[in-house]
Amino acid sequence: MKSVLLLLGISGTTPFLSGCWDRIEITDLAIVTAAAIDKNDNDQIELSVQVFIPSSISSGGGGQGGGSSQGGGAVTTLVRYEKGSNISDALSKLQSKLPRKVFWGHCKIFVFGEKLAKEGIREQLDFLLRHPQPREKANVYVSKGKAKPILESLPPLENYSGEVLRELSDLHIGMLVTMQDLDEMLTGIPQAAALPFVKILPPEKGQTKLQGIPYIAGTAVFKKDKMTGMMTEKETRGLLWLRDEVESYTVTIKPKGVKGEISLSPVSAKVKIIPQIINEKWRLSVKVITDGAVIQNGTNLNLSNPKSLNAAERAYQKDIEKRIKMAFLNTQHKKADILGLGKDFYRKYPKQFNKVDNHWDEIFAEMEVEVDVAAHIRRQGYINKPAGLSEEEVKDK
Amino acid sequence: MEKGKISSLQMAFMMYPTIVATAILGVPSITAKYAKTDLWLSPILASLIGYATVYIAYKLHKLYPKQTVIQFSEQIIGRIPGKILGFLFLFFYIPITGQILRSYGEYIVDSFLVKTPISVVMASMILLCAFIVRGGIEVLGRAAQLFVPVFIIPILLLIILLGPDLEFKNIFPILGNGIMPPIKGSIVPGGWFSEFFLMIFLLPFLTDMKKGMKYGMRTVFAVMMTLVVVNLIVLFVLGSTTSTKNYPLMNVSRYISFADFFEHLESAIMAVWIVGAFVKISVFYYAAALGTAQWLNLSDYRPVVWPIGILIVEFSFWSYPSAMDVSRFDIIAFPFYGVLMQTLIPLLLLVIAVVKRNRQRKKGSNSS
Repeated sequence: MKSVLLLLGISGTTPFLSGCWDRIEITDLAIVTAAAIDKNDNDQIELSVQVFIPSSISSGGGGQGGGSSQGGGAVTTLVRYEKGSNISDALSKLQSKLPRKVFWGHCKIFVFGEKLAKEGIREQLDFLLRHPQPREKANVYVSKGKAKPILESLPPLENYSGEVLRELSDLHIGMLVTMQDLDEMLTGIPQAAALPFVKILPPEKGQTKLQGIPYIAGTAVFKKDKMTGMMTEKETRGLLWLRDEVESYTVTIKPKGVKGEISLSPVSAKVKIIPQIINEKWRLSVKVITDGAVIQNGTNLNLSNPKSLNAAERAYQKDIEKRIKMAFLNTQHKKADILGLGKDFYRKYPKQFNKVDNHWDEIFAEMEVEVDVAAHIRRQGYINKPAGLSEEEVKDK
Repeated sequence: MEKGKISSLQMAFMMYPTIVATAILGVPSITAKYAKTDLWLSPILASLIGYATVYIAYKLHKLYPKQTVIQFSEQIIGRIPGKILGFLFLFFYIPITGQILRSYGEYIVDSFLVKTPISVVMASMILLCAFIVRGGIEVLGRAAQLFVPVFIIPILLLIILLGPDLEFKNIFPILGNGIMPPIKGSIVPGGWFSEFFLMIFLLPFLTDMKKGMKYGMRTVFAVMMTLVVVNLIVLFVLGSTTSTKNYPLMNVSRYISFADFFEHLESAIMAVWIVGAFVKISVFYYAAALGTAQWLNLSDYRPVVWPIGILIVEFSFWSYPSAMDVSRFDIIAFPFYGVLMQTLIPLLLLVIAVVKRNRQRKKGSNSS
């Protein structure tokens, strides 16, 4: 009798095990792969989501590769959009147009439209940080013009446009900013942020309109939560040097006194930023140690010779110095501490920093910078003389 | 009343999750609010309360080896005041158990089971705890021994998997604003450390009583180290945003991304965390049930387990209208309430008991 009761009791608890109220089958989910948030002219928020179509992969299988759809593979995502007074309002309207429940857990890309970025992203960011589904590790971007076309584009190489952006970010070509980074930049000391700026590469002639590819074309500069300016691709690279994010990078230099250029790749770098306060003067010392391997030598310098190697290294060093100085002057000019230097100063000089906390922007804008680069060329590839030159033409210097 | 026996190691395994389980969820955020980058110093300062509480509990236990606080307070300050104090203790532990249950429920509903009614989440947990409490202290001790290693492993795993994301620079400046911020930050975890007084309900059942103090102190140290490590990880990953998160450890575990495919691990880590919460609630529940039975002079505590379970669930609803109020209670009221009930009043009891005993001894030597 007792064992029967026990058995009944145990089986009575099984409904609790499944968490039945929150049971969601994967076939009931609309998995968002990327989202774009725009502001239209009526000051309404437009939320566009790129939703993954599961059947496009499961039923198509290998057949779609050589299929009829010319160029770009089969469509694996669909884009829906809806207007509303804020994201959650737009989302609830959007939900009524999707047969499956919107699921943010796999959304790795959030793109803010330019207009929204200029008017402030704080309100919308609150939703993304508060909602339990969107992830801190998701990448955040700002688009030129509206953000929706970026989701709509059908890149030929990847399955969907969100994946393109993510892969590009992983290559460290532009800045890589996650939601957590953005939150930290905005709530922390600098009160300024930088987000990668995305454009669409227009499609070649003859391709369909949607086959443009989004790519990272610089950096959007934010003061507080409002976009105030932007930096070009070249300036962004200098920024990457200062942030010590240089990876798989090519540097092309022009040594003095000879014709042609030398390219170095890959270049690796260690960057140390040392804040200093000397005699009440705030200054920054940047120490860089960088190594490179020659990948192309268009000059007539014989790099096996220490003298010419030295000349090349000096040019290398000058080039890096110039890049870093330019990027720094550029951020100073914008009066936005997107490098988070305030944090570095606070870490080293908390007392002095607390005194100038409220006019840090001005101090930052007037700060002096000293760049100290140690540049070395370590390898020269498979040939030891410039190609296509006879012995006499090669200059040993 | 309770015939089971546990070893002092089992007691340590019961006490560890009793403090840590909820502390690792909320404490990083609360201490960050006051101590900023020095949040890792706060648990070290707060642990002093833990050491003091263990010392007081052990000394009281040595004076009255076979009794819990409910019983010996009658002997120390007299029958009626002792009963009143006993009632105050019960009126402390039962609602606090409700509060723990509520914060467990709020956390689960907030982050995982969004649509499940919170009453179901809490009632199923208390049902499970009731079974283990009825099973007696031996069952509880062995369950703790079994579960605690499982509970600790994810924390270690977290450190390894987060390796690439740790920004060690976030720790600077150390003591940039003086020593005051970490002291302020230590007040709240101090409330958690005062919960070590629950040992007084376990000490009478130890097989090796002499080791009770040693293992108690070791547990305080282990809890302190855990909180320091957790606070540091959170600081290294979240930086200045730590204080804005409700459950920073959750955000941190979501941040794991290893080689692009080893990610979204938070549900696994948090499923294991529930095991810790289960031990915590069970220990509190056990103390409340045993204390109530002793207060009523019952011969067995098992009949009161179910009614107290219902009371706990009711208290978890009655006391707080929202999740914000639960955490407000944790920050504003509990550090003082907890330390008062679990450290200061026992200290007072100890002083009275020692003075009384000395006087008796003097009287004894005078009359002889």
